[in-house]
Amino acid sequence: MKFNSETLADLFYRGGSIVLFILLWQLGCSSGFLPMTFVASPLSIVETLWQYLKDGSLYKHASVSVLRAFYGFILAALVAVPLGFMLGGWFKNFERVFNPLLVFLGQFNPFALFSVFLLLFGIGEFSKVAMIFWVAIWPILLNATLGVKSVEPNLIKLARSMGMGKIGLLLKIVIPSSSAFLFSGLRMAAGTAFFMLIPAEMMGASRGLGWLIINAQINYQIPKLYAGTTIIVLFGLLIDKLFRIFEKGLVNWKEAQVI
Amino acid sequence: MTVAPMPISPGLHIKALYQPLYWLSLKFGLLILALTSWELSGRLGLIDEAFLPSFFQTLAATKELWEKAFLFNHIMVSLARVLIGLLMALILAVPLAYALGRIFPHTAHFLEPLLRVFGLINPYCLFPLFVVFFGSGEVPKIAVLTWVSLWPIFFSTLTGVRNIDPSLIKIGRSMKASKFSAFWKIVLPATAPQIFSGLRIGVEMSFFILIAAEMTGATAGLGWIIHSAGALYQVPRIYGAGLCVVILGLLINRFLVFLQNGLFFWKESVDPILGPSRPLDSRQKISPLKIFLAIAIFTLVLAIGFQQIILAERRLNDPTIIPEYRVWTE
Repeated sequence: MKFNSETLADLFYRGGSIVLFILLWQLGCSSGFLPMTFVASPLSIVETLWQYLKDGSLYKHASVSVLRAFYGFILAALVAVPLGFMLGGWFKNFERVFNPLLVFLGQFNPFALFSVFLLLFGIGEFSKVAMIFWVAIWPILLNATLGVKSVEPNLIKLARSMGMGKIGLLLKIVIPSSSAFLFSGLRMAAGTAFFMLIPAEMMGASRGLGWLIINAQINYQIPKLYAGTTIIVLFGLLIDKLFRIFEKGLVNWKEAQVI
Repeated sequence: MTVAPMPISPGLHIKALYQPLYWLSLKFGLLILALTSWELSGRLGLIDEAFLPSFFQTLAATKELWEKAFLFNHIMVSLARVLIGLLMALILAVPLAYALGRIFPHTAHFLEPLLRVFGLINPYCLFPLFVVFFGSGEVPKIAVLTWVSLWPIFFSTLTGVRNIDPSLIKIGRSMKASKFSAFWKIVLPATAPQIFSGLRIGVEMSFFILIAAEMTGATAGLGWIIHSAGALYQVPRIYGAGLCVVILGLLINRFLVFLQNGLFFWKESVDPILGPSRPLDSRQKISPLKIFLAIAIFTLVLAIGFQQIILAERRLNDPTIIPEYRVWTE
């Protein structure tokens, strides 16, 4: 890579604001403008993170959290993608009738269900995974249904007139043309899964990133609180980025919808 | 010579009459079927009532909450928190997005990565920070709700501002539109649908987080009912309060859809939840009376909510009510 003024400007626009923000934050902390009792400086956050990394607690908590989110997400995808395809493709009328009920269920707040999940599945891992499953399933289901419904009918007619079988139709027409919707649903669900993991761990867990920060808050350990928050933010960014890269590679013929 | 009226085929006529009724009956039929199977599965012992109380038990619990545990007060407190959060987010995000998108596009370009990071921060991990900053009253809850709906509104407004058709602005300028009228007549109408779609995402996120915020450190609100009922394993009450949250969320969403269809009657939209909007030719511009009514309802709800927040706080310190009230907390 050659460094000319253009790449420098690009770099400036991409990361300049974040670097500036961190610098200002550090300056504010070390000059005493921001009170140390409320705000931890970036350097102390890095120090705390380094400590966490050295004694292995970062790995312990992060792996637990990531696995929980992963299991919930995978389970939701395994259930919701086929279900969404069926609702959108084969049972269209059924879907039209069923949709209000699905919307109603999707609105049911996962926290309201938390105590019920505790009763059903005990206090182990499964109640948290079930909660993540519950939040991740709705975006995937709605988007998969919408994606299948939005397949151009002419394409299907064309393929059928050329004698394409049902499996070929599914693999060559329906899945590719609904993949944009499907992927945005999956990305939303992954985001939500990680999003919900934190409060689930705050409420009833003894390990995990959510527990890490709620514990820091209870003990009023400000640097640890900020360090935990930083890890969670980084993970959230990473997941979002990964899905965007996947989306770009796999659904590259469709224009991206950016919110 | 008279023009013969277009013959209307009887089949079409009947179908037009029968189609919506058919769907409506199917929809309600399914709802009734779902409710009946919910009730029956509890009654027949298919599902343990400790996990899923039957429909009538849930209703009875809701009624009991309403009569004895000030359910109305809790609903209004939760609603007021959400509405204040949304209002604050609108007040902050929309001018910021306009300023960054129209006046300082380079600054917007520079700041965008940082703001995207802010938008991706998990609001739940901010909650402990907000408690550290703002104490434990109403402020951290409203701050979290504001934060949550701020970013969807900001980014969708910014996208809207950036994607205004430049020829519209050029036409306005060539007709000597002043800056103010260009804003009022071109920029605002062109971006308002985007603000609205951001607002709707914000509403959904707000309801998600409201319950969590009220569960961790509140003394009133639907989340608090769920929390205290959960701690006591009074499962019917959990479902009763959960039902209230769902109905509240759906009502607000419906209200926004009604406004959206009336205000942006010229624009087709595909809703992620409700599907495509009604066809354009069947829509009409919202009348000023309806706008006035909507604003009046909003203000009224906000006022009642404020009053109820004060009432809830007063009740906490009222020695005459506490013994009865405590039944629900301990």
